[in-house]
Amino acid sequence: MQAQSSLKEMDLECRGVTKTFGDFTAVEDISFAIPRGSFFSILGPSGCGKTTLLRMLAGFQSPDSGDILIKGRSVLNTPPNRRPVNMVFQHLALFPNMTVAENVAYGLKRRNVDKHEIKTRVADMLSRVGLPDAGGKQVSQLSGGQKQRIAIARCLVLNPDVLLLDEPLGALDLKLREQMKVELKQLQEKFAATFIYITHDQSEALVMSDQVAVMNHGRFEQVGTPQALYYEPATRFVAGFVGESNRWQASISARDERGFRLQTEAGLSMQADREIGDKSASQNDWGVGKSLELFLRPESISVAPGHQALGTENAYQGHVESVLFDGARSQLLVRIEGALDLLNVSLPQTAEFRSIRKGDSVSVGWSSAQVQCYEV
Amino acid sequence: MSAVTGLSFRDSGKLGLLLLISPLLLWLSLFILLPHVDLVMISLRERVAAREYAFSWSNYTAFFTEPLYWRTFMRTAVMSILATALTLLIAFPVAFYIAKMVRGRFKALLFVLCLIPFWVSELVRTYGWMILLRETGIFSGLLQWLGWVDQPVEMLYNDVAIMVGLVYTSMLFMVVPLVTTLEGLDDSLIEAAYDLGGSHFRVIWDVVIPHAMPGIVSGCIVVFMLTLGNYLTPTLLGGKDSLWFTEQIYTQFITRFNWEQGSAFGMLLLILSSFIVWAGLKLSRQSFTRVMT
Repeated sequence: MQAQSSLKEMDLECRGVTKTFGDFTAVEDISFAIPRGSFFSILGPSGCGKTTLLRMLAGFQSPDSGDILIKGRSVLNTPPNRRPVNMVFQHLALFPNMTVAENVAYGLKRRNVDKHEIKTRVADMLSRVGLPDAGGKQVSQLSGGQKQRIAIARCLVLNPDVLLLDEPLGALDLKLREQMKVELKQLQEKFAATFIYITHDQSEALVMSDQVAVMNHGRFEQVGTPQALYYEPATRFVAGFVGESNRWQASISARDERGFRLQTEAGLSMQADREIGDKSASQNDWGVGKSLELFLRPESISVAPGHQALGTENAYQGHVESVLFDGARSQLLVRIEGALDLLNVSLPQTAEFRSIRKGDSVSVGWSSAQVQCYEV
Repeated sequence: MSAVTGLSFRDSGKLGLLLLISPLLLWLSLFILLPHVDLVMISLRERVAAREYAFSWSNYTAFFTEPLYWRTFMRTAVMSILATALTLLIAFPVAFYIAKMVRGRFKALLFVLCLIPFWVSELVRTYGWMILLRETGIFSGLLQWLGWVDQPVEMLYNDVAIMVGLVYTSMLFMVVPLVTTLEGLDDSLIEAAYDLGGSHFRVIWDVVIPHAMPGIVSGCIVVFMLTLGNYLTPTLLGGKDSLWFTEQIYTQFITRFNWEQGSAFGMLLLILSSFIVWAGLKLSRQSFTRVMT
């Protein structure tokens, strides 16, 4: 009974969905459920199977096994033109031989909606996406961002249960992409619709989503909030794929109740805490000599000019190898004395770092809780 | 100094252009323009005595006063339009299949299969149809063997046989432009229309056909011209009564040595085909430059 009622609030559910092409498994045993009105992203590198998964949700491909449910009903035998989902294509796929209004009206016409109603609904939708006067224009007269909004309006006018978006921001330039990210999120909240968004751009996924699934080799590595993915990556792949990190190959040189003493291949020695959450169980049997991969976010490294005591468990002396200035995302490349590799450190936006130069000596340090360890 | 070199460079560019287009200009003027001018001049004269000619419209008035001539003319036009339409109907699914449904090596194979019949001459291909359709031919024999008919059936020398031959001869010229335009159609447009609730028919009607329109029109123009000007296929498959307008022209020139009348018919055929192509472009709202590029 409990399961039944919770099911109804789910707009979309996948159960053990698998798809293979010959020997290649594109999507392997994926299960997830998306609650109504949420923004769900599937993030993964190209070739990870995310497009195949989306096309199965839309109905253009059918899974080899598993089930897809929309509002609790299986849609496996429903062709794409009858599924209550609509898709915004990567290159938008607006019909070039129709005007903007005809594009938006297309789905309504195919549903045999009354002509007057089509007119009012199209006008209403165009004003809701902020283009009330665009109806009579040709698609080629629109700018990239406007095309984007029309492609979404064309789907939303049909009130789909789920809207699928296939990297629709990929073709836009950087400035517009930043702006459309915010706009998409606002649209989704305004319509209270369920969005499934696939992308290889982590920033798009993190900014817009309520939930993000990180996909690799046809499987979900982790499903969680953007914060969870960023701060508590469940797997090595997620830690490396989401956000920037310093990475080291290392082995355990000593262990105690609190954590591990680690020695990197490049000659750096550091202290890392044991996990408290889900990963703690697997860490119980890690012994001395075990090979690990370590991840450390650039912004979790404290840095100070000259020789200073930073008060962190791991503290080192080094000098600046280069300054990578990029406004708020500026970084320092720091070479730690006695180690071979370079450390990416976020540059604090304070006056004392304004004049930092190549070759200056700095103190760097990070707390043992910030180091993420994964089995190799 | 630099102005002088610039000028001479431009001059040599002009000379190069002239040299490059001179074969084309020669071709057009010697083989297209000159014969037509001559054709017009011959068609507008009348023999009054041996080696004596006078200006006259009589060759053209003869066309309109003799029912056989203009009926043949209209019949040829209507049959050609019908053959073009049939070719389009058959070629469109074939082209769609080649352009959109198959990939890689199989696609190339299908394309070559369309092309191979054109490696042999039209005469041989038409003779192939005669072997199939004639009274002692394969179809007739098969029907008798099956016991469906009790005597040989003549399937040659009727309009259906002409139509079959014309459509067969024209297929490639329709398939090629259609495949080319359909290959340029983004699959996601088809999927988008389908996703938005379009039925198969609506997707083809709303998305595929509008996109393929330049290919359809250019294929139709080529096929129509080829059919209208075809001589061999109607004569061989239709026999003596095929009543194709090109046969009238042939008869005037070769059988009756009436070059004046033949020239007038030639001009009328040119005017007819130009008019129908123009009307077709107007009806389909396509521009000639867009269709032909």
